[in-house]
Amino acid sequence: MRKSSLRKNIVREISKNKSRFFSILAIIGISVGFFTGVKSACPSMIETAEQYFRDNKLMDISVVSTVGFDEEDVEEIKKLEFVREVMPTYSMDFIAKDGDIDCVVKVMALSDIEMNIPLLREGRFPESDTECIMDSYYAKLSGKKIGDTVLISPKLNDRDTSEYIKHLEYKVVGLADIPLYLTDGKGNTNIGSGSVNFYIMVKSKEFPLERYTRIFVRTKASDSGLSAFSDEYKGMVKEEKKFFESISDRSISRFNEDTLDKAEKELVKAKKEFADKKEEALEKLSDGEKKLAEGEKEFNEKIAQGEKKLSDGEKELSEGKKKLEEGKAEYSAKIAEGQKKLADAREQYAKGKAEYEKGLFEYDTKIEQAQNKLDNAQKEFDTQYNLFYTVTKPDAEQKLLLVKSGIAVAERGIENIESALRQMKNIGASGDSKGLEERLEGYRKQVEEYQKQYDEGMSQLSEGEKKLNDAKKQLENAKEEFLTQKAQGAEKLNDAKIQLEEAQSKISAGELELQTGINTGLFELQQAQEKINAGEKELSAGKAEFEIQKQEGLKKLQSAREELEKGKQEAETKLSEGEKKLADAEKKVENLKNAKWYIYDRESDNGYTTLLEDAQRVDNIARVFPLFFLIVAVLVCLTAMSRMVEERRTEIGTLKALGYSNADIYAKYILYGGLAGIGGCIVGGILFISTIPNIIVDAYGLLYLLPQTKLVVAWDSYVISSAVAILCICLVAVFACRHDLKLEPATLMRPKAPKPGKRILLEYITPVWRRLNFSSKVTARNLFRYKARFFMTVIGVAGCTALIISGFGLMDSITSIADLQYVEITKYEQVYALSEKGSAQQKAELMAEFRKDDRFAQTMLAYMNRSETSSGGSKKKLDARVVIGEDKESFTKMFVLRDMKTKKPLFLDDDSVIIDERMSDVLKVGKGDTISVEIDDEIYIFTVSGVTENYAGNYIYMTPKCYESVTGKSVEYNAVLATVGENAKNLQHDMANDFMKSDDVVTVSLISEQVEAIMETLNSLNIVVFVMIFCAGLLAVVVLYNLTNINIAERVREIATIKVLGFYSLETANYIYRENMVLTVTGAGAGLFLGNMLTGFIISSIQMNNVLFPSIVQPLSYVWGFLLTLGFSLLVNFIMYFKMNKISMVESLKSIE
Amino acid sequence: MKDFVKFENVYKRYKMGEVTITAADGVDFSIDEGEFAVVVGLSGAGKTTVLNILGGIDSCDEGRIIVGGKDISHLNKHDLASYRRYDIGFVFQFYNLIPNLTAKENVELATQICRDHLDADKVLDSVGLSQRKNNFPSQLSGGEQQRVSIARALAKKPKLLLCDEPTGALDYNTGKNILKLLQTKCIEDGMTVVLITHNSAITPMANRVIHMRSGKVISNTVNPSPIPVEQIEW
Repeated sequence: MRKSSLRKNIVREISKNKSRFFSILAIIGISVGFFTGVKSACPSMIETAEQYFRDNKLMDISVVSTVGFDEEDVEEIKKLEFVREVMPTYSMDFIAKDGDIDCVVKVMALSDIEMNIPLLREGRFPESDTECIMDSYYAKLSGKKIGDTVLISPKLNDRDTSEYIKHLEYKVVGLADIPLYLTDGKGNTNIGSGSVNFYIMVKSKEFPLERYTRIFVRTKASDSGLSAFSDEYKGMVKEEKKFFESISDRSISRFNEDTLDKAEKELVKAKKEFADKKEEALEKLSDGEKKLAEGEKEFNEKIAQGEKKLSDGEKELSEGKKKLEEGKAEYSAKIAEGQKKLADAREQYAKGKAEYEKGLFEYDTKIEQAQNKLDNAQKEFDTQYNLFYTVTKPDAEQKLLLVKSGIAVAERGIENIESALRQMKNIGASGDSKGLEERLEGYRKQVEEYQKQYDEGMSQLSEGEKKLNDAKKQLENAKEEFLTQKAQGAEKLNDAKIQLEEAQSKISAGELELQTGINTGLFELQQAQEKINAGEKELSAGKAEFEIQKQEGLKKLQSAREELEKGKQEAETKLSEGEKKLADAEKKVENLKNAKWYIYDRESDNGYTTLLEDAQRVDNIARVFPLFFLIVAVLVCLTAMSRMVEERRTEIGTLKALGYSNADIYAKYILYGGLAGIGGCIVGGILFISTIPNIIVDAYGLLYLLPQTKLVVAWDSYVISSAVAILCICLVAVFACRHDLKLEPATLMRPKAPKPGKRILLEYITPVWRRLNFSSKVTARNLFRYKARFFMTVIGVAGCTALIISGFGLMDSITSIADLQYVEITKYEQVYALSEKGSAQQKAELMAEFRKDDRFAQTMLAYMNRSETSSGGSKKKLDARVVIGEDKESFTKMFVLRDMKTKKPLFLDDDSVIIDERMSDVLKVGKGDTISVEIDDEIYIFTVSGVTENYAGNYIYMTPKCYESVTGKSVEYNAVLATVGENAKNLQHDMANDFMKSDDVVTVSLISEQVEAIMETLNSLNIVVFVMIFCAGLLAVVVLYNLTNINIAERVREIATIKVLGFYSLETANYIYRENMVLTVTGAGAGLFLGNMLTGFIISSIQMNNVLFPSIVQPLSYVWGFLLTLGFSLLVNFIMYFKMNKISMVESLKSIE
Repeated sequence: MKDFVKFENVYKRYKMGEVTITAADGVDFSIDEGEFAVVVGLSGAGKTTVLNILGGIDSCDEGRIIVGGKDISHLNKHDLASYRRYDIGFVFQFYNLIPNLTAKENVELATQICRDHLDADKVLDSVGLSQRKNNFPSQLSGGEQQRVSIARALAKKPKLLLCDEPTGALDYNTGKNILKLLQTKCIEDGMTVVLITHNSAITPMANRVIHMRSGKVISNTVNPSPIPVEQIEW
C-alpha cells in the first residue's frame, strides 16, 4: 500500500505523455533489436550450415585418384582409427546438351551409405535406372523441371561415353542439393569449358567402371561435436589428411606392380602385332592397285573401238540425211511450180468466168430490153389496132355511112328535083325550075361534097388499114430479128460456157495431177525419212549400248577403284585406329604411370570457405554499428529525461516537501526510464531479433543452397545490450534528477526562472548582426540559449547522418573492390591452368600457339601456387598465392604493383618479393622483413622489398630468379595468363573451349566470371547495409521527433504568446522550425565528417584476411546521407506542425506552472 | 463610436470530463469607442473567458461579438489570427515576454508582423523605458516587464487594448503606475481599453464598469466622471 500513489503517479506520467515514453522505448527498442538482430545473423548462418552438414552427413575428407580405387584401398582407409565411415563411389564429368549449348554435367552415384545425403527439394529419388535427381540451383537457373531429360553427349574426349556410363538419357525425377556444394560453384573439370555447370545423381550401378573414382570419408572430426567452421575442426582434419598420404603411396606402388607392368607388357605386344598387320595390309593394297591398272588399260582399248564404229555409222547417216534434205528441196520446188501453174489457170478461169458472166449479164439485159421494146411495140400496135378497128374504123364507117346516107339523101333530093324538074319540065313550069335547079345544084354539090368526104374517109380508112398492116409487118420483122439475135446470143454464151467448163475441168485435172504429184513426192520423202530414222535409231541404240557398256566398264573400274580405296581407307583407319589405340594405350599406361591421389577436405567447396567469411563480415558490421546506435539512443534519452524532470520540478519539490525521500523520487524516474528501457528491449526483441537475421540470411540464401534457416538468437548479445541500454537509461534518469534533488523543496516549488536571455557572441560582431533580419536574430539567440539541446540535437542528427553515410560508404567500398582489383591491379582476364605433366618444350609450343592467336592482347606464362604464409611478427597464417611471371615486360602489363598511398609503381628485383597490403597488415610485416612461405610442403624464407596495393586475395610476387635462388628449383610454370583484345571480349568462352582441347590445358578460369561470383557474395552484404540504412533512418526519425517534441514542449508558452500576437500557423511553425532546420543542417553537416570517420572505422573493423575493403565513400553517398537526414527532419517537422497547431493559447497562458 | 464592442448573448461552455462549466452564460454588454472599460468580478466569474473571446484567442459557443462593426464570433483560424494581429493588443498578468528577446526586440516581435505600427523605440519611450530597451526580461522588474508588455501591445496600433489583471503580479505602487499608463494611453490616444480585475476599488477610474458574476453580466454602468488613478486608494 505504501507509496501506491507514487506508483499511480508513474502510470499517469506514462499515460499522460505517451509520445515521450514511447519515443524512449522506440529508441531503445531499435538499438537493442538491431544490435541483437545483426548479431544473430552470423550464428544463424553458421548453425544452419552446421546443422545441414550434421543432418546430411557431409564427408570430412574426400580422395580422388588419377587411376581410381579398388576394394583394397577402401579396406585400407577403413582400417584407419579415426575413420567413422567410408563411401567409395563414382562421379564423372560429361558433356551434356542443354539445347544447343554444350555444358558440363557431373554425374554422381547415389550410394546406400548415408553420406553427403542429398537434400531433396522437390520430387523423389530415382527408382529406375534411367532416372536422376538434379542440382536444384541449376534447375532454377535453366528452367529445368521434373520430367525433363538430361542428354549426355555420346562422345567424351573422342571416346565412347558408354565406357563410363550406361545410359545417355536420364529423366529428372527430383531436384536436390547436396551439402558438398554450398554455392552454385561446382568446381573445375578438365573437359568442356573447364567448369562444371551442374550435377545429377543416378543409381550407382549406372557406372560400368571397375574402379571407384572417388572415396568420401567421414571421420572423428565431424563426430566430435566441433563446429564445422572452427579452427579445431580444421586442424583435426588436417592431421587426419596426413594419414592418407601413406595409404596413397602404398596403393600407388601396389597399383604399379599389379596393373601398370601388365599394361606395359601388353602394350609392347600390341605394338608388334600392329606392325605385322600393317605390313600385310600394305602388300594387299599394292596388288589390288596393279590389277586395277590392267583393267583400266583393257577398258580403254575397247572403248576406242566402239567409238570408231559409232562414228562410221554416224557419217553414213548424215549423208542419207543430206540426200533427204536435197530431195525435200526438189520436191518442194516442183510442188511450188505446179501450184503456181494451177494458180495461173485458176486466175484465167476466173477471168473468163467473170467475162462470161458479164456477157451473160449483158445478154440478159439486152434480151430483156429488146423483149421490152418488142412488147411495147406489140402493145402499141395492139392499141392502135384495137383503136382503129374498134373506134376509128367504125367511127369512120359510121361517118361514111352518114355521108353515104347524106349522099343517098342528096341523090334522092337530086332525083326528086330532077323528077320535079323533069316534071316541071315535064309540066314545064319554067319559073320554078330555076329554084329547083338551084336546089338541085346544091344537092349535087352536097353529094359531091359528101362523096368527096366519103372518099376521103374511105381513103383514110384504107390508109389506116394499110398503116396497120405495115406496122404489123414491121413488128413481125422485129420479132423475127429479135428471135434470131436471141438465138445467136444464146449460142455465143453457150460457147463461152462450154469453154469455161472445159477450163474448169482442166483445172480440176491439173489439181488432181498436182495432188497426186504431192502425194507421191511426200510418200517418197517419207520413205526416205523413215529410212533415216531407222538408221538413227539404230545408231543411237548402238550408242546407248556402247554407253552402257562403257558405263558398265567404268563402273566396274570405279568399283574396283573404290574397293581398292576402301580397302586402302579401311586399312588406313584400321591402321590409324590401331595407332590411336596404341597411343591411347600408351597414354593410359602413361597416366597409370603417374598415378596420384588428391586428398581434399570440406574447403575444396568454395562455398564452405565463403560462408564463414560472409558470416564473419556481417558479424563485424554488427560489432560497430549498433554500438553507435546505442550511444545516440542514450544521448536522446538523456535529453528526454532531463526535460521530464524539468517539467516535474514543482512536483519533485512537492514530493520532497511531503516527506518523500530522494530515493523515492529517484525510484520514480528510474522506474520510468527502466520501464521504457525494458519495454523497448522487449518490443525491439520481438520486432527485430527474428526479422533481421532472417532478412540477412535470406539475402545470403540466394547464394548458399542451405535448408530452412535455423534461427540462432545471440541471446548473450541481447542480454548484454538490453542490460547496457536499461542501465544507461537508469543512469540517465539519475543524472537528470540529481541536480534538482539537491535543491531545497522551497526552491523547487518556486517556478524555475526561465532561462534568461543572453547576448550571444555574434551580436558583438555588429556588421553581421545588423545584417541579419529580426527572425534570424531570434533564431540565432535561441540556438545558443539552449546549448545542451543544441548539442544534443546536433550530435543526434550527426549520428544518424553518419550512420546513413557509413551504410552507403560500406556499399561503395564493397562495390568498388571488384573494379579496383580486377581493373586496376590484376589485369589478366583469363587463366589457363596447365597440366603438371607438360614439359618445358610443350609449354613453349603452347605459348607459341597463344601468341599466334590474335584474339589475345597479351599472354604470359606464369607460375601461380597457393601457399601458406606466416611471419615472425604474427601467429596468423595466411593463404597466399605465389605469382611468378616468366616475362618481365608482360608481367608489368598483367599486374600493377604500386604503393597504396602514393600510387608510385613498385619494381621486383631478383632477391626479394613484394607482398600485398592486407598480408602486410595481418602478418605485421613490412619492407625489409622476412616471411616464411610453405610451397608444396616445403618452407622457404623470403625477404619483403615492398607492399603493393591489393584488394582481393593475398599475393606474393617474385621473379623467376628469386624463386630459383631461394628454393633451388627451377620454376614449373603452371598457368598461362591472358588479356583479351578489344574485339574478342565476347569470344572468351570460345577461346576457352578452343584451348581446352589442348592436352596441356587443364582448366580455364575467366576472371569476369569470378568477379561476378565475388560481386554476388559481396552484394548480399548490401542487404545488411540496407537494413542498416533503414534502421539509421528509423533512428533519425525517432531522434528528431523526440528532440522537436522537447523543443516544442519547452516553448509552449512562447508559441502561445506569439500566436496571441497574431502569428499565423505557418509563421509560428517557421519561428520554431527555423531553429530545427539550422540544428538539422548543422547536425547533418557534422554528420558528414562523422560519417567519414565512422565509415573508416567500420571498414577497418570489417577487414578480412584476404580482402582489403577500400575506404572509399562516393560523394553521392554524402549527398544521400545529408538529404535523407533533411528528409527525415522535414517529415518530423510535418508531423509536429499539427501538434503545434493544437497548442491552446488559453491553456498555455493561464498561469505560470 | 457607440457600441464599439458589443457582446450579444454569448455563451461559452467548457467540458471537463463529465462536468460542463458554463464560463459565459449569455453575456450581453457593449462598450463605446475610446472608453476605459473595467470588467470586474470574483475569480471564476467569467471575466477572463469574456476577454479571451474578445481577444480572439478563444471562441464562443453561441452569440455574437461585434468589434468595430465586424462580427468576430465565427471567424476561422486564420482570420482570427489576422484579427489578433491587426485589431487587438493583449496585456497579460504574467507579461508573457519572450525571455530570449530584449525589451525592444519583444516589441519588434509585434511590430514586424503589422503593416501599420509604431516605432518600437518611441513606444518604449512613451512607456518610460528609454533606458531599458536593450535589457532582457530577466533583467527587468515586474513593472518594467509589464510596461514592455504594454508597449508591445500598443506598438501594433490596436483598435482594442485588452488587459488581463495587468497589476495582478505587481505591488501596489507599480500596479498604480501601470494603471496610470493605461489610463493615459486611453485618454491621450483615444485607445479603447478593456481591463479585467477582481479589484473593484479601481472601478472609479473607468468610463464604464461591467460587473460579472457566474458568467453573467449583472451590471453595465457608465461612469460619467472617471477619477485619475492617482486619486484612488485601495
